[in-house]
Amino acid sequence: MSRVLCVDDEPQLLRALATNLRARAYEVDLATSGEQALELAGRNRPDAVLLDLGLPGISGMDVIDGLRGWTNVPIIVLSARQDETDKIAALDAGANDYVSKPFGMGELLARLRAVLRVDAPSAVAPLVVTDAFTLDLVDRRARSASGEIHLTPTEWQLVEVLVRASGRLVTGRQLLKQVWGPAYHDETNYLRVHMANVRRKLEPTPSRPRYFLTDPGIGYRFIE
Amino acid sequence: MARGRLRIYLGAAPGVGKTYAMLDEGHRRRSRGTDVVVGYVETHGRVHTIARSRDLEIIARASVDYRGQAFEEMDVDAILRRRPQVALIDELAHTNVPGGRHEKRWQDIDEILAAGIDVISTVNIQHLESLNDVIENITDVKQRETVPDVFVRGADQVELVDMTPEALRSRMVHGNVYAADKVDAALGNFFRPGNLGALRELALLWMADKVDDALQEYRERNNISRTWETRERVAVTLTGAPGGDNLIRRASRMAQRLRAELVGVHVVASDGLSRRAGPELGAHVELLGELGGRYVEVVGDDVAKSLVQAARAENATQIMLGASRRTWWGELSRGSVVNAVVRSAGPGIDVHVISTAAGAVEAPLVLRRTRFALAPLPARRTRIAYALAVIGLPLLTVLLAHLRSHVGIESALPAYLLLVVAIAATGGLVPAVVSAIVGFLLLNWYFAPPYNTLTIANTRDVLALVSFLVVSGVVSGFVDLAARRRADATRAHGEARALAAMAVTVLRDPDPLPSLVQQLASAFALDGVAVLTHANEDAPWIAEACGGVSPPQGPQDATMTLDLGDGSILAIKGAGLRAEDRQLLTGFATQLAVASQGVRLQREASNAATLARTDELRSALLQAVSHDLRTPLASIRAAATSLLSDDVEWDRHTSRDLLEMIDEEAERLNRMVANLLDMSRLQTGAVHVHAVSVALDEVVGAAMSSLHVAPDRVEIEIEIADSLPRVPADAVLLERAVANLIENALKYSPSDVRIDAREDPALHELELRVIDHGPGIAPTVRDRAFLPFQRLGDQINGTGVGLGLAVAKGFVEACGGRIAIVDTPGGGCTVTITLPIGAS
Repeated sequence: MSRVLCVDDEPQLLRALATNLRARAYEVDLATSGEQALELAGRNRPDAVLLDLGLPGISGMDVIDGLRGWTNVPIIVLSARQDETDKIAALDAGANDYVSKPFGMGELLARLRAVLRVDAPSAVAPLVVTDAFTLDLVDRRARSASGEIHLTPTEWQLVEVLVRASGRLVTGRQLLKQVWGPAYHDETNYLRVHMANVRRKLEPTPSRPRYFLTDPGIGYRFIE
Repeated sequence: MARGRLRIYLGAAPGVGKTYAMLDEGHRRRSRGTDVVVGYVETHGRVHTIARSRDLEIIARASVDYRGQAFEEMDVDAILRRRPQVALIDELAHTNVPGGRHEKRWQDIDEILAAGIDVISTVNIQHLESLNDVIENITDVKQRETVPDVFVRGADQVELVDMTPEALRSRMVHGNVYAADKVDAALGNFFRPGNLGALRELALLWMADKVDDALQEYRERNNISRTWETRERVAVTLTGAPGGDNLIRRASRMAQRLRAELVGVHVVASDGLSRRAGPELGAHVELLGELGGRYVEVVGDDVAKSLVQAARAENATQIMLGASRRTWWGELSRGSVVNAVVRSAGPGIDVHVISTAAGAVEAPLVLRRTRFALAPLPARRTRIAYALAVIGLPLLTVLLAHLRSHVGIESALPAYLLLVVAIAATGGLVPAVVSAIVGFLLLNWYFAPPYNTLTIANTRDVLALVSFLVVSGVVSGFVDLAARRRADATRAHGEARALAAMAVTVLRDPDPLPSLVQQLASAFALDGVAVLTHANEDAPWIAEACGGVSPPQGPQDATMTLDLGDGSILAIKGAGLRAEDRQLLTGFATQLAVASQGVRLQREASNAATLARTDELRSALLQAVSHDLRTPLASIRAAATSLLSDDVEWDRHTSRDLLEMIDEEAERLNRMVANLLDMSRLQTGAVHVHAVSVALDEVVGAAMSSLHVAPDRVEIEIEIADSLPRVPADAVLLERAVANLIENALKYSPSDVRIDAREDPALHELELRVIDHGPGIAPTVRDRAFLPFQRLGDQINGTGVGLGLAVAKGFVEACGGRIAIVDTPGGGCTVTITLPIGAS
């Protein structure tokens, strides 16, 4: 059973989160401030943290810094802010994913399941089967209903990283680092070009992607 | 019997802890076995003070009857009878109820000291006589209870009880000084930080002087006299004129700083009549005595000479005198005392001229304008000259005619010439020429044989008379020219002053144009002046600034126009401007061009600032909307999607809980949107007030129910008497304002909110207070609290868009009331709404 720490200064939202998580058999810790969150995280060792960025006292960013000092516990940021820079800063500081307020409960629960899956290495099968295509990660072969699809090595690497993180957000920076190497972190143009190619080859309607989604300005995620 | 020793605790303001320090000292001495009693202590109901005085022996106060009322005063006789070693007596500056043995308490203490009893007392700096006027200037409060400085300085020990203004104010807020209901008023009036800072500075300076005194005393006692071998003296002139008390106080302060003796000098006229002493001389002599000065009276007719002589006799190195209030004529006829003193004082004596309270008023600046090459002499002088001619000529003629047998024409001629020149000097050319002709005829009639005819027998006489006429004419011409030149020089001087005044205006005034134009109109006595500008050639002229009676509307109305650059002109309307005036006007125009350019730049800068502010507001609004409106939406959506999800079966209780959450949050969202709309109504001025007579308790009741506050969830104490008068206000607006305040208070202080109202019959107002005990609002950001979207930091535990206070302020002001934030004594924030009760 997983233990989830919810941090938000809104008592009502916290109540809704707790009701839902408990109904799905999670154990829940609730915190209304950053200080309380850090203390509860230290005491109860949660398996995931849902964290609001705009907190009274020490901010959500400080909480991320505090947690990352000693744990890799997955953190999902709940942000009411439209401000992209805040989200990117949070992800750079070590948050794993984010959900924008107001969010649907189903969406949040799906993200939560995705980050909790990371700890289980065999979670992603070597064979990924979707309605549109099948990917064999071991043999590096892709096929669709119309036949074999050829992906370049770079495209394969991209697809592999995203598929292994299935459901989770991978920031542009992480993708560049993993595929091209640590020297590349600002060349988001590469990503855009190669992702467009991947979509053209794998997506049934490349202009309206269904599997390889973009979080504009932030990163990409693969949804099965 | 040895005189008792006096120890004084000096404080900068009430409440710094003088009485407490005095009682402390009393305890300390008693613990050493000294016999200590409390002669008089004023506790002002302060808890710590009362506790500290309780275990000392207290001499009962005497009851004094005055005009049928009983007053409590210190019982001097009882203290003298009791004969303690030490008496603690509070409030040195206290004035006794009339009828007692002394007028002032310090005199009582003097008597107790004389009886050999040591006294410990307290006094505030504002009660010191020498600082009386300074402190009145700072605090606007006239202190009637004063103590002579000599008495305080003469104390064996003076100890300063010091406290920073901030600490004192916070002591007040915590209710340690005054009862809670007096705190607000006191903090706003006497206990302003500026006041307290200034008083503290004065106390510290005074104390520093006293410390110096002690040092000097030590030097004197030990014969270290070299440094102080000459004791300086400051001589101050006493005339008895109103305002002289300020002069005396200034002199006293100067004497203290120089460690000098103060001597007041009054000069009495030798006949005792020609110069009367001013009406306040007696009071001034008394003040001088209280400040420790010595009074000297000298007799002499020449005030300045006598004064300097007296100063020399007293070995004074400084003379202080008030600025002369004599008029120009007065100074010319009787001389300026100030100048005379400065001249005769010579080296070794510094002369200080102090402007007194009723100082000179700046004379209005007016230039005389003429159409002639040179200014005419004033009509008054011409009239005097004619009078001189009408009286002088007959008088001279009668006198000389009597002596005709002894005086010939050759002797009479110079006498007449002299008179004509005098007339020319007084009244200029025209009266002089007229008198020369009359003189010529008179001489001819009376002195040129044959007498009493206009015929002249002698050729020599003809020559003499003709030369008289010519010389008179020429001399009169020159004298007249000189007089006019002088008048012209005065005028040039005035013009220079006008330009200088203008330069100062440009430098000092944030918008100098109107005053510059006004100055221009009055300095040249013009009909009208205007600075006109137009956007392009065809556009109508717009006046940027106007002055004078009928300022020109366009260049077509003007007698003269000057280009100011940047498409604006200076248009002048006034008959017959002289060439010199035009030249001077060009000077003015340059100043005006600078000024008008400055005004234009300033306007642009302020426009830019307004735009920047609008931008700031807009981004604050965006942030507020993105953060605050989303917060209840997040809860609503979370609850709604929970109910919609298929994977869980919700039980009845949980689904009801989620539905209630949706309802509450929707209501909260609704209030925020209402506030947003109200704010935009307020900002566009679209609020309509329907004033009816409303009762405050009903308004508060309605506000409470609009907030859906469950009665069992919070503790709100409401205390509003239904007997309070009704106020004319818009019930709906007022209810919204009050609801916002209550919502705010509950947000920061969820378990302890109090709402009360009271009437101020004196101001004819009702005051409604919403009091919380939350974290409070720091005074520095209080002004900003009422601005929209200023929830003082975006991160604060947030319900509301930071609009609540802004909307409340807008609505209260629309109803004709005021709103303010003050500290809650004991911590927290109190918002007050003040509403006028109205005529009925």
